[in-house]
Amino acid sequence: MAGALLSISHLRKAYAGATALKDASLDLHAGETVALMGENGAGKSTLIKILAGAVSPDGGEVHLEGRAVRLASPRQAHQHGLRFIHQELNVVATLSVAENIFLGRAYPGRFGLVDWRRLHAHAAACLASLGVSHIAPTARVSRLSVGDRMLIRIAAAFLEDASAPARIFVMDEPTAALAGEESQRLFRVIAELKRRQCGILYVSHRLDEVLAIADRIVVLRDGESRANLPAAQATKRALIEAMTGRENAEAPPPAAAPARGDVVLAVAGLEAPGLRELSFDLHAGEILGFVGLAGAGPEHLLKALTGGAAAGTIAIGGAVVRLREPADAWRAGLALAPRERRSEGLLLTQDIAANVALPHLRRLSRLRTFLNRSAERAQAIDMGVRVKLKASGPRQKTRTLSGGNQQKVMFARAVAGAPRALLLDEPTRGVDVGAKFDIYALLRELAATGAGILVVSSDHEEVLGLCSRVGIFRGGRLVEIVANEDLTPHALLARCYGEPRGG
Amino acid sequence: MLAFARRYGTWIGMGVVFVYFWIHLPDTFVTSRNLMNITQQMSMLAVVAFTMTIVMAMGDFDLSVGSMASLAGVVAALVFVAGGPSWLAIAAALAAGLVGGAINGFLVSYVGIMPFIATLGALTVLSGLAFRLSGGKTIFGSAIPSSFSGFARGATFAAPNLTLVALGALVVIHVVLEHSVYGRRLYAIGGNAEAARLAGVRIKPLRMSAFALSGLGAAVAGLMYASRVASANPTQGAGLMLDAIAAVFLGMTMSDEGQPRVIFTLAGVLILGMLGNGLTQMNVDSYVRDMITGSIIIAAVASSSLGRAREG
Repeated sequence: MAGALLSISHLRKAYAGATALKDASLDLHAGETVALMGENGAGKSTLIKILAGAVSPDGGEVHLEGRAVRLASPRQAHQHGLRFIHQELNVVATLSVAENIFLGRAYPGRFGLVDWRRLHAHAAACLASLGVSHIAPTARVSRLSVGDRMLIRIAAAFLEDASAPARIFVMDEPTAALAGEESQRLFRVIAELKRRQCGILYVSHRLDEVLAIADRIVVLRDGESRANLPAAQATKRALIEAMTGRENAEAPPPAAAPARGDVVLAVAGLEAPGLRELSFDLHAGEILGFVGLAGAGPEHLLKALTGGAAAGTIAIGGAVVRLREPADAWRAGLALAPRERRSEGLLLTQDIAANVALPHLRRLSRLRTFLNRSAERAQAIDMGVRVKLKASGPRQKTRTLSGGNQQKVMFARAVAGAPRALLLDEPTRGVDVGAKFDIYALLRELAATGAGILVVSSDHEEVLGLCSRVGIFRGGRLVEIVANEDLTPHALLARCYGEPRGG
Repeated sequence: MLAFARRYGTWIGMGVVFVYFWIHLPDTFVTSRNLMNITQQMSMLAVVAFTMTIVMAMGDFDLSVGSMASLAGVVAALVFVAGGPSWLAIAAALAAGLVGGAINGFLVSYVGIMPFIATLGALTVLSGLAFRLSGGKTIFGSAIPSSFSGFARGATFAAPNLTLVALGALVVIHVVLEHSVYGRRLYAIGGNAEAARLAGVRIKPLRMSAFALSGLGAAVAGLMYASRVASANPTQGAGLMLDAIAAVFLGMTMSDEGQPRVIFTLAGVLILGMLGNGLTQMNVDSYVRDMITGSIIIAAVASSSLGRAREG
């Protein structure tokens, strides 16, 4: 389309054979907000990474003001006037607001000294021009909320580099961590950006928000742009259909309804950061899935259950337990597999056997004190076979394993103690398809042997394929638990959005 | 080439140091008497470096070991001055080390102060305490019983007693770090504290106990020193901390994943011990000796990290 500020056409990208983007196109005009929507894995983040110069596309073109450009590095993206606003902002928390706004630029000075008065006045004027008056230029950024930090980054974007003025703002889930009032402030700033003829590409899961602030909405599905419609004509129902694309398509084969046993894990009235009044029962032999949009709560669950709760009770096998730290959870018969396998899961410099043995050292030891390496080896080999681990042997360093096999080491560790319940956070994140199916088969088998399994996942297909019941979180609350038979991909997403009639 | 330097550089350096002194001190360096002497001279450093390895396995430091050693010597001497028996003097000194170390550990793991700051503060406090208790003077003379001072001069089966103490510490700490559940957990904390916590390792008590052991090791070294010189003064442990950390670092350059391992710490101690002994015999000025020792430590760690950077 002629006259577009940013025009993306037919972008393609595959990672090691897995297609992330197939055919993505969109136009963004000056003074316009385009919302980019799509399910997890639809290709939104790959598209953003291409714009940011972090990933190079396999095919397709990016035009800026009619000229084809190659965004080969973050620096080039910056020079072309692209700015990225997301939750992990690069602000220096220990400096003041004004210093952050002027970061990387020459401070106004006199006789080689910083003219603080002028610096603060500039910063205040810069914020005021965006309609922001509640942030003092002298305040420490460490005291500011995430929302205010975003506003500072936006203000700074206009001061940076006169040779590369900010033209396009890409905002990735900017409101995921914002309170209502902060979101409103951000929306007012977005209106001001539009008035300045900037283009805004707004990525969000939040339907209400998108319908309220976007001019147009582009939906990505399976790496292709599937819908491009003016926000005025969009409805929530139409958007959900466009995102799932399979309103009446048959759901993947639901997990065979297992024989549900006794309650292994009962949680009542749990209060924790990001979660409110959480109560649920996990039965032996079932796989219970927890889902929600970004920021809705399930991502805090593992932490809350292993010592992060301020109130509430947890009972395991009918007995109330106090879990002050993860060690208590393991001891009580829970097994954990945290989300970030590299930073929270594995000891990358140690070998497979040591990683698998870590929570079970006492049981494997002699006299409960001395390591028994042959028992560790034997356990690692047994469990490795069980989880279909591909490795050269139990002494291979976990650092040298592929992502899928690293994930399997975490499962080997979790199942090694014959736990009563497993708590899994994003069990197949960043794992290839083959390893994924191995993991699903393993979880079904474990459930069949009487373990209760709780899966927190943002992959709806996974949840629908694996779980017999699905708990849905909105705004930190578990609002309902629905049997898998009653769900379709469409209905599940609709419920996450709080639109139960959408399906 | 660089990978080779990283893997074996410190071993080669150790060999070079040994051969150099062998050539330049043909009659006095490689004699069984001198080699025994070296092991005895470095036995105090060895004990401190070994227990420092426990703390460094978790990725922490203990800067207070030097003044802890001085304080332990002073405490023992004061018990002697008050007419107490040897066993009481030794027990009091060891208790002081254990308690001082436990306080460090408490500050680090339960209060949440960075080890560098907590133990730096402890260094100053313990040093002040040692001066206060001793009145700033060396305690010596008839108050120190010969049964106590005789120990360091004695030998068992031709091996100096102090060397045997260091050897005993080596064996115990090797078993603790390499063959016990406790040691495995310490290395897990050092590898990735958050992953270890989520895998059921109770970090706080472990961290506290490791610092307590480091304090205990420093107290043992302080007693060894006091026995050797039959006296105690508030500065006698002063050089121990830097040398101990240097020895662990030298050892880390030899280990496979750059982890502190007590057997390699021993190698680090041997390098420092040979340097000290050989350079003294060659009448090298002690300031120059410090410069040479410091340069060798930097060279070893630099070759190791250069090799690593090239690999990564």
